[in-house]
Amino acid sequence: MTATVPAPAARGGSGKRAFTTKALSKKAVVPWLFLAPGLLLALVFKFWPMAKGIWLSFFDVRPFLGDRWIGLDNYTRVLTDHRFQDAIGHTLILGIGQSVGAILLGFVLALLLEGQARSLRILRTAVFLPAVTATAVVGELWRLMYYPTSDGLLNSGLHLLGLGPVQFLDNPNIALYSTMAMGIWIWAPYNMVILLAGLAGVDRSLYEAAAMDGVSLWQRLRHITLPAIRPALMIVLTLATIRGLRVFTEVYVLTGGGPAGSTDVWMTRAYTLGFTRNDIGGASAASVVLLGVTLLLTVTINYLRKRGEAR
Amino acid sequence: MRDHRRCRRPAALLVATALAFGTAACGSGSGSAGGDDPNTLEVWTRSNPDSAATYDRVFAAFTEKTGIKIDYQPVINFDQQLQSRASTKDLPDVMINDTALMGSYQSQGLLKPIDPASISGGDQITGKSWSSTVGVDGKHYGIPYSRQAQTLMIRTDWLKKLGLKAPTTWQEMLSVAKAFATEDPDGDGKADTYGIVAPGSAQNGYAAWWGASFLWQGGAEIIKSDGKGTYTPAMDSAAAVNAVTWMKDNLFCGDNGVVQPGALTAVTSTATNFQDGNAGMYMTGPYNITTFDGTLGKDKYEVVPAPAGPAGGDVLADGENVYLGARTGKDRQELALAAFLVSPEGQKIAMTGVDGHQPVVRIPVNSTLDAAKVRDDARWSVVQKAYEDASQQFPNAPDFAPIKQDTADALNSIFTYCGGDVRSQLKELNDTLAGDLKDQDLLK
Repeated sequence: MTATVPAPAARGGSGKRAFTTKALSKKAVVPWLFLAPGLLLALVFKFWPMAKGIWLSFFDVRPFLGDRWIGLDNYTRVLTDHRFQDAIGHTLILGIGQSVGAILLGFVLALLLEGQARSLRILRTAVFLPAVTATAVVGELWRLMYYPTSDGLLNSGLHLLGLGPVQFLDNPNIALYSTMAMGIWIWAPYNMVILLAGLAGVDRSLYEAAAMDGVSLWQRLRHITLPAIRPALMIVLTLATIRGLRVFTEVYVLTGGGPAGSTDVWMTRAYTLGFTRNDIGGASAASVVLLGVTLLLTVTINYLRKRGEAR
Repeated sequence: MRDHRRCRRPAALLVATALAFGTAACGSGSGSAGGDDPNTLEVWTRSNPDSAATYDRVFAAFTEKTGIKIDYQPVINFDQQLQSRASTKDLPDVMINDTALMGSYQSQGLLKPIDPASISGGDQITGKSWSSTVGVDGKHYGIPYSRQAQTLMIRTDWLKKLGLKAPTTWQEMLSVAKAFATEDPDGDGKADTYGIVAPGSAQNGYAAWWGASFLWQGGAEIIKSDGKGTYTPAMDSAAAVNAVTWMKDNLFCGDNGVVQPGALTAVTSTATNFQDGNAGMYMTGPYNITTFDGTLGKDKYEVVPAPAGPAGGDVLADGENVYLGARTGKDRQELALAAFLVSPEGQKIAMTGVDGHQPVVRIPVNSTLDAAKVRDDARWSVVQKAYEDASQQFPNAPDFAPIKQDTADALNSIFTYCGGDVRSQLKELNDTLAGDLKDQDLLK
């Protein structure tokens, strides 16, 4: 595992700028000239730091004393650290739960808010707000909502029902799910917008035909809507996968990985390693592993999508 | 595939060349800011614009006195910025930052060793302050600049209402905390007050930072120096087990309301219950006095020494040091600045905030000064006394960052799972700490 991980990352990084074989003919040069500024920016701010990160992951990083080559030690250390192993589990639970939840909720919202009416437009804007609000602000908001006494918004609701108060964030058994709920709330509207665009392209006459055939709502969803928005769903799924794996801000602002590491995800571990323990090499290795896994998953989804389309 | 690769090579070469030029240009650019002119020092402090205003006055006074110019940069995310400057091998000439980071900087070779005798006025700094800047190799790597120690901030109006006195022992503190939580000290008829504010999250090592005072008061140590430059982890001692068990049973797993709700995930920026007026005690540093005077009101609370545990009343002390960046050739100017910063004049300017700006020196390192007199505020003498008579610092000779983080992780976990076995969890922590020390080649 450790030895193979950096390879797909490197390949993925350079694969994006595939050069043509006829690089020197005039026709081919012009588009490259137009692309150059963007490409250069991407190189300097994206691919160069990425390459440097991969490079650093093989070192004991000591900027002023000179870095020490330690080969795969950082990778072994990160992958055998039980807190990182726990973090993998949390990342998967949080990533999958958050993605599935946000896609389902986004889909429901999209179905409810599809249409041309002016009132719907206002409603859609209101629903979309969480996606454009800074995650740190959302975190503070949810901290208040989760406030663990009967004064808290959610707990005061539970109090009326004679329940609670629930320690949403301080109970290690539910803190991860509390974080997940916030993630779903943030990302559902984002998915909604993409799915709305997909829904707009559904052929209306199919619905009319279905109505004449007297099909049920479920059958209509299953056989008309879902196949029609399949490309949009795939995009949403790909984005959600990437986002799910590198989830950081939601956790960092809400729980900081606590209590007792119960919400620690891969990125918060990497952050702690890099910035509170000053172990840049280890943090780089952790990030490269994440990059590798993300690439692998994205490529897999893409492959499945293409195979699905070809069918 | 093969064709692709051949074409990619010249392109990559071109990019690499462009990058090399780019970075070279950056390097010389930032270097010229203070690098070429021997009479200009580049100074960095970890400050927001508010405290930077106070530093501005300090440096202006220095320039007026000596003619040496200061290129001053307040940096908020100091550590990240410093690491990136370090990677270009071009450091600021002088840096002012937390004492606890010295070990980390020194282990990376960022600092120039300092001879205390070379700082004029260095003899006015107490031995206690000087001793906190000794690195693993026995040399000094920082000049003390500002110090602070934790004290207990407590609601006097609540004490009066319930007929209680400020606590002096752990047991008294616990009963006051319970009274604050249950006897409705704010008189609104609701059970919405809490005893003690605790930033108990493991994030950034807060649980260890806040809990350290309790450990010392209980006679425990996190790591123990053998005086020969090596250390042993000491969190499996009976004293540590007792202190941590006391904290767990009484503060975090005891009656509801002793600590504020959400303490296990609270960091200092979210543990605002004292200033919000719904918690009665907070053991914290004196930099909060300005904040509390503004939000709560000066008449509502007082500053008292921390209650003592079975082994005494030692609290956590920390502060800032002046560091000299490695490998710059401006020794004379740097030493002149350092001497000014620790002189009575320099310290006084930094201790007073003009126009409501935060002062940057809390307890002066210059022993001829009295914090309470300079500020005309008796509460500062409590803090100064706590620093001088009953405080300890995290050892900063080793790189303490990983040790603090692992201790915080363990404490947070112990406080979270009330059914756990403290002794075995601390044993586990001790093994982790041994590993941290071994990584630094400092394990005895």
